[in-house]
Amino acid sequence: MLTFLLKRLVAGVVVLFAIACLTYTLLYFSSANIARNILGEYATAEQLTAKSAELGLDQPLIIRFLGWLGQALTGDLGHSWFTGQSVAGALFTRLPVTLALIVSAIIIIAILATLLGMAAAVKRGWIDRVVQTAAVIGDAIPGFVLAIILVTLLAIQLSLFPATSSISPDSPASAWVASLTLPVIAIVINGVTGAAQQVRSAVIKQLEKDYVRTLRSRGVSERVILFKHVLRSAAPAGLTVLSLQFIGMLGGVVIIEQIFALPGMGALAVASTTLGDIPLVMGVVLYTVVIVIIVNLLVDLANGWLNPKVRVS
Amino acid sequence: MKFNSLATAVAIVSAAALGLSGCAAGNSEPSASSGEGATGGTLTLGSLADIKSFDPAQAHLGHQMPIYQAAYDTLIKRDADGTLSPMLATEWSYNDDNTVLTLKLRDDVTFSDGAKLDAAAAKANLDHFLADNGPDAQQIALVSAVDVVDASTISITLSEPDPALEFYLTQAPGLIGSPAALATADIDTVPVGSGPYVLDAANSVSGSQFTFTANPDYWDPDTQKYDKVVFKVLADMTARTNALVSGQIDAALLDPKTGAQAEGAGLTLTEYSTDWMGLFLFDRDGAITPELKDVRVRQAINHAIDRATILEQLALGQGEVTTQIFNKDTAAYDAGLDNAYPYDPKKAKSLLAAAGYEDGFTLRLPLLPGTEAILAVVTQQLADIGITVEQESVPQANYVADISGAKYSAAWFSVFQGDPWVVIKQQIATTAGYNPFDSTSPDLAAALLATQTGGDDSAELAHAVNEYVVDEAWFAPFFRPSQMYYSNSEVVEVVPQTQQAVPSIYNYSPVN
Repeated sequence: MLTFLLKRLVAGVVVLFAIACLTYTLLYFSSANIARNILGEYATAEQLTAKSAELGLDQPLIIRFLGWLGQALTGDLGHSWFTGQSVAGALFTRLPVTLALIVSAIIIIAILATLLGMAAAVKRGWIDRVVQTAAVIGDAIPGFVLAIILVTLLAIQLSLFPATSSISPDSPASAWVASLTLPVIAIVINGVTGAAQQVRSAVIKQLEKDYVRTLRSRGVSERVILFKHVLRSAAPAGLTVLSLQFIGMLGGVVIIEQIFALPGMGALAVASTTLGDIPLVMGVVLYTVVIVIIVNLLVDLANGWLNPKVRVS
Repeated sequence: MKFNSLATAVAIVSAAALGLSGCAAGNSEPSASSGEGATGGTLTLGSLADIKSFDPAQAHLGHQMPIYQAAYDTLIKRDADGTLSPMLATEWSYNDDNTVLTLKLRDDVTFSDGAKLDAAAAKANLDHFLADNGPDAQQIALVSAVDVVDASTISITLSEPDPALEFYLTQAPGLIGSPAALATADIDTVPVGSGPYVLDAANSVSGSQFTFTANPDYWDPDTQKYDKVVFKVLADMTARTNALVSGQIDAALLDPKTGAQAEGAGLTLTEYSTDWMGLFLFDRDGAITPELKDVRVRQAINHAIDRATILEQLALGQGEVTTQIFNKDTAAYDAGLDNAYPYDPKKAKSLLAAAGYEDGFTLRLPLLPGTEAILAVVTQQLADIGITVEQESVPQANYVADISGAKYSAAWFSVFQGDPWVVIKQQIATTAGYNPFDSTSPDLAAALLATQTGGDDSAELAHAVNEYVVDEAWFAPFFRPSQMYYSNSEVVEVVPQTQQAVPSIYNYSPVN
């Protein structure tokens, strides 16, 4: 178990380093106009040269990367070139918003998808048809369209929720709830149907297995079969979908965050990438990769816990 | 067992995350006054753009103007109609040849860190601005020295006259912060000024929200009308509209399309103009597109543009068609030049023929993302007179660099129409960023020199410059788009600020 964790840890560090190299190189090749972006449209050529020198943009790629890496290894991700705030500080204020949004959505999706998927698999009939149809519709409607519809109906027409985020450092928990409700609903509608579909087929597959017949023949109750045995065996499929959804959301919530003006990572990632704010982009990328690695590890561990067959010895 | 404890940990983390969104029912943020100090309650504004740094030397004022004005006073104040009036400087005057500006400062102003404003502090700010290579550093690039005359007087010496210097002292170069704070790294995120409000840094998130509270020691209580001012950065047009329509913010800049929704919700429109938009015909000497050297070709392009239709279709009629680049509020403006080149494709074709291009020619134009519709119309209307437009996609981040780097012989853009000398410095002078091929002529140079050295008559003298560039068809302007600023007139009264992206912070008053 410990060696497994160690191996994963080492692999994670390797992945992190590889992605850092790759991202930095890509940013290097698109960094021609950073000084112009910082200084704006009326800056003179001399100003631009001075700014480039100040930021080290006139240095070769390898020197710049090693400089950044050296700092990063000491835990210092530097300061944003545009706003001057520390990268760690910027991430620290924004990460909780995005994580609260995604984690809440994933938990709700997990619960609803399990219930719907199992209901569809066990009862079949009309429930199944509804889940199947909804899966297609839910996948087909983009999350941002749902978001706009929700804002128009529930925030502007009925004034039940704030139309845009009222989250700020001083806002009470209630502001978080109110501000996250609509975005979470938009994400859940979009994500739950696909996950339910996966749970449904996994459960159906398990119900056809021999061990279910054996259990039934021994007189084990249908409820125990379903929740203790079938669900446990079917869960890995659902978990994999959820982890993929989670990782997809890290990038996918950008538009949702924009529509609701949520002060999350999405807006930060978009703005820093378009402007060429290299320290900030690197910070966003590193944190995202770390989250992805952690999520994958958690899913592996959870799968092992659910299903002894895939456990590592 | 290990797995179980891990599961517990996961459950706790998830529960904590949900807990953030878990308890208490929604009492929304109070928007009314807490009742102490100033009387106006809270003003909440939607801002299109984020602030880059609170360091005055790194400031760029456009949509961010009121955020800086909350924290900092400027040496000179620009009133809503554009007249200059005293602020930190009580009076100022030029020497005879307009190269030394002497400013007398208030002696009753303290910064939020307790330091006092004096001549040395003002000098320190201007020196810092000159040395720190910020976005607007070129605005006072002609300043050769700043001197302390006495404890409350400074003089600014110019290497050559700059008719826009007083205007610039209402902008970024005029923002005055506490000298001790300017040298620190914290100034990027925490302003230390003498402005009517003080940043509540704990309740501000860069890129999302800036919360200011009234400065208890402010020297001009009449300017300080609110207890609290909140700027919400809402870059997304949909989010900004929704926030305004649902009452989360009191005022924000929208556009013609979202304006309809705002009007439906009973919001009040304040209209003013800041920009002109249209084509820059940069290559007036024919360096890359030889055809553009002939003034008749540039005039033909002007006659080919159906401005009224473009305005109607692309901006729903919100704006005024024009063929000049100077704004209506200056002496350089000439109403007659708004229609110097009426839409007339026939005349355009005959001008092209007279220039020897009856078969037309090819013009390469850069395409800025988001302006596909405008370029499509331009392409169509120029095709009608035989000019083939080749569009070339340019990433947003490269657009300004490319067009001011002489990569294209012409380009569409929307740019600021400030004071005449500001327009000249940005778009007409050989040093201007938007004159990449350094076009000029002896006549123009003479008119420019007269404007530069004209002192108080400078703006009127710029009229000759205006006539020259219109006659020579340096540009093919389409229209002056209306800035559509919407506000909730039940809570706030807004006075538009001429030639500024959004109204100054001083232009808002609570409705009682």
